[in-house]
Amino acid sequence: MEKIKRRSALSSLGALSLGVAAPVLSKGEVLSHPYKLTKQTLKTDILVIGGGTAGVVAAIQAARAGRKTILVENGSQLGGTTTTGGVAYPGIFFAWGKQVIGGIGWEMVQEAVALNDDTLPDFSIPHGKNHPRHQVRLNGQLYAMLIEEKAVEAGVQIRFYETPTSAVFQKGNWMVQTVGKGTSTQIVCNQLIDCTGNAYTASLAGFDLLREATTQPGTLMFKLEGYDFKSLDLKVIKSRYDEAVAKGELVKSDFRNNIVGLLKSAGDNIQHVLGADSTTSETHTVANLKGRSSLLQTLRFLRTLPGCEKTRLADVQNETAVRETYRIDGHYKITHEDYVTGKIFDDSVSYSYYPIDVHDENGVVPDHLKEGVVPTVPLRALIPKNSRNFLVAGRCVSSDRLANSALRVQASCMAMGQAAGAAAVLASMQNKTPLDVPMKDLRKLIEEHGGIVPVSTQKG
Amino acid sequence: MRRIHGIGLINAVFSVAILFSGFLQAAPKSPEGDFWHRIDLISKSPLGDLGAKPFQSRDRIRYFHAQTILLQPDTVQAFASQFQDDAGNDTLFQIRSKEGYPISYFRKIKTSVCFDNKCRLLDIVLYWNVTGRYLGFELPEGEFLSKTEHEPFKPEEYTRLNDLLADPFSPLANFSYEELVPKTDPAAAGLDAVSSATSKNVLDYVVVGAVYTTYKMWHFVYGSAQKEVISLTEKRLSPGFLLKILESPDSGDKIWALNHIRGQVELTPVLRNTVLSFIDNNRFNLAERAINALSPSELKSDSLQQLLFQKFPQVNYTLKNLIVTKFKDAPQLTKTVKTALAIQLKSTNGELLSNILDLFKQQKVADPETGRIIAGLLRSENNFLAQKAFSFLKSANIDDKQVVEQLNAYKSKHQL
Repeated sequence: MEKIKRRSALSSLGALSLGVAAPVLSKGEVLSHPYKLTKQTLKTDILVIGGGTAGVVAAIQAARAGRKTILVENGSQLGGTTTTGGVAYPGIFFAWGKQVIGGIGWEMVQEAVALNDDTLPDFSIPHGKNHPRHQVRLNGQLYAMLIEEKAVEAGVQIRFYETPTSAVFQKGNWMVQTVGKGTSTQIVCNQLIDCTGNAYTASLAGFDLLREATTQPGTLMFKLEGYDFKSLDLKVIKSRYDEAVAKGELVKSDFRNNIVGLLKSAGDNIQHVLGADSTTSETHTVANLKGRSSLLQTLRFLRTLPGCEKTRLADVQNETAVRETYRIDGHYKITHEDYVTGKIFDDSVSYSYYPIDVHDENGVVPDHLKEGVVPTVPLRALIPKNSRNFLVAGRCVSSDRLANSALRVQASCMAMGQAAGAAAVLASMQNKTPLDVPMKDLRKLIEEHGGIVPVSTQKG
Repeated sequence: MRRIHGIGLINAVFSVAILFSGFLQAAPKSPEGDFWHRIDLISKSPLGDLGAKPFQSRDRIRYFHAQTILLQPDTVQAFASQFQDDAGNDTLFQIRSKEGYPISYFRKIKTSVCFDNKCRLLDIVLYWNVTGRYLGFELPEGEFLSKTEHEPFKPEEYTRLNDLLADPFSPLANFSYEELVPKTDPAAAGLDAVSSATSKNVLDYVVVGAVYTTYKMWHFVYGSAQKEVISLTEKRLSPGFLLKILESPDSGDKIWALNHIRGQVELTPVLRNTVLSFIDNNRFNLAERAINALSPSELKSDSLQQLLFQKFPQVNYTLKNLIVTKFKDAPQLTKTVKTALAIQLKSTNGELLSNILDLFKQQKVADPETGRIIAGLLRSENNFLAQKAFSFLKSANIDDKQVVEQLNAYKSKHQL
């Protein structure tokens, strides 16, 4: 009897415990089980890592050529420096009166211009110091949506918020492990394109990378308003700025030691974040913290200046955009000499056009190309040494520092993206490594999709 | 626009009389409702010499760039405005050809520029082309420009000034007075760069020793008068006038004209042919603007559609896409163009193919002949092409046995 009583009591206790542990559900609510990390394996022809300037073009090219394509992006939208970075002027597509970069990148830019009722610059105006006039200004957020639509329409499978953790070449395919929010995915692909801008996937795959001891600074893009620049007493402002720098209240390299430039540009591509590196979460976190902290500090300072008391932050990007990190050690390294002489290679797959443009703590003085010079990018510069079925596109192209300072700009990266996408398509279809793809086939495919391939008879 | 009368009228007459030895006639009401004054040119005037080359006569210093319209001046109309600057007067003169086309504009500037703690008068006539582009300047008889210490401009400095003023994108637009010459002494404020060094950022955009002169002139050129020039020209638009502008050696002028066709003037056969002639691979901006200049109402014309399509095989991928996009403006796609584009589908890839199919969808193309060509794409090894074709055919409802069979085969293969 006693036993029965005890059993009954325990049973009641159990019921009571269950009643305490289970949440009281309101109407419409359901009890959700703890989230379990989804592990899966995906197979694709081509995997593009990085949905920035080059990556989105590479992925669209691959998909439009009929290959199954996955695009992995660690952020929340496509476009990279053009969109998330806020550098929404992806020049330069025309050189010396001729279009030199076309294809998918140009198509996207042109559509964004049309949809925003913007106008294209007059590309017939001379270059040299006038090169900023060739920049096409975009509505960055509109551009982000438009290129996303194009990628989806092409059949690209987009995976936001994911990043690779390993890349191994096995039996003619790449096994790439990625992690994301609640995901752990192995992606098996025949061709792998690294468009991270930092050669991050190339590094995971074990290929050699190059880097300068001091890299170019990054920039947090923002927009100031609330003052009339032309009515400011610049002498007083400069003097107050110098005092603040001398006292250690401001860091002179943060705005190129140029408070007048900051006020004049109202934040457009003027900030410098020394050592900015977007390669890892940790380095990019540091770059973002530095950029925002310096902006806030400077904003508070500006509001103490005569005529600037009502200065406001009208807009600021979500992250610091980065100019330079790692480059691959490719089958060919584009040199400064190659760039400034417009050397054309037997395997040139795209043009690039920009002045040599190395930013340092004092700012930048572009070194313009001589009239008629249009540099080119050989396929070999997109392929790491000792690799198979692997390409890169974008600023991590194999090049020396000076050449890279010009190659890194967005239009050139778009052209490289299209070339890398096309080379991957052909390699996948022909069961080859990209280095062995016939140039004739590659040219044909790029041109069929509107891209412009350098003409080998043209002399630089 | 306000009527010139009283003192203003006298000033206007005086200015023009000095410059052109002209005489003032009665002031009729202009067709636009503005009051203006007509001044006939009765003797050989400097206007007849408006050429592209710098010109320096014994008695008058003049520097000019290429003119938009090379017609001879016939009459001058004076327009008064409220420019709200310190040019000394608010009269803008429009020079017209015998045909009544505006061919250029000028404004007499009398303002002070200070240097070396002294101010002197800047007395100059600025000229604009009909599109608002800077044309040149002319100094009154015996006048010359001077720099620091009253040192006269050398010929190369006049040439440089003329070139600097021709740059609509000059950073002078955004320089503040404060930036022109760094101040070392508060007493030197507003001087023309004597005691202080000119800011090195400014040097590329000014005549050294005449910083404020360059700055002031540039701002007169690109200030409210330029807007008024454009506004006055826009009131005189006609197909013949735009054809004349399209003959300009300056690409900016051509773009201006192409931007002022659609919805503003009738696309006469001659103008249409000229517009279409700009569609080629060598001048992207002109080609793009030329395509843009064609309006939906004009695209009703079968012949225009066919003429536009004749460009298709000759142009690059970018322009091909723009032409296809333009056909979306047509109320109805001409059969010959539709058939030709359908044939193109067999050898087209990527965005161009997608764009043509979008055009067909928008134009509700559903004939069996076109349908069969598109259905052929269902068998493509390129999934992108096949899916695009499927997407089109799915919604086109083409009544053709062959098309239906191919569509069903595709659905079955892909388990759709």
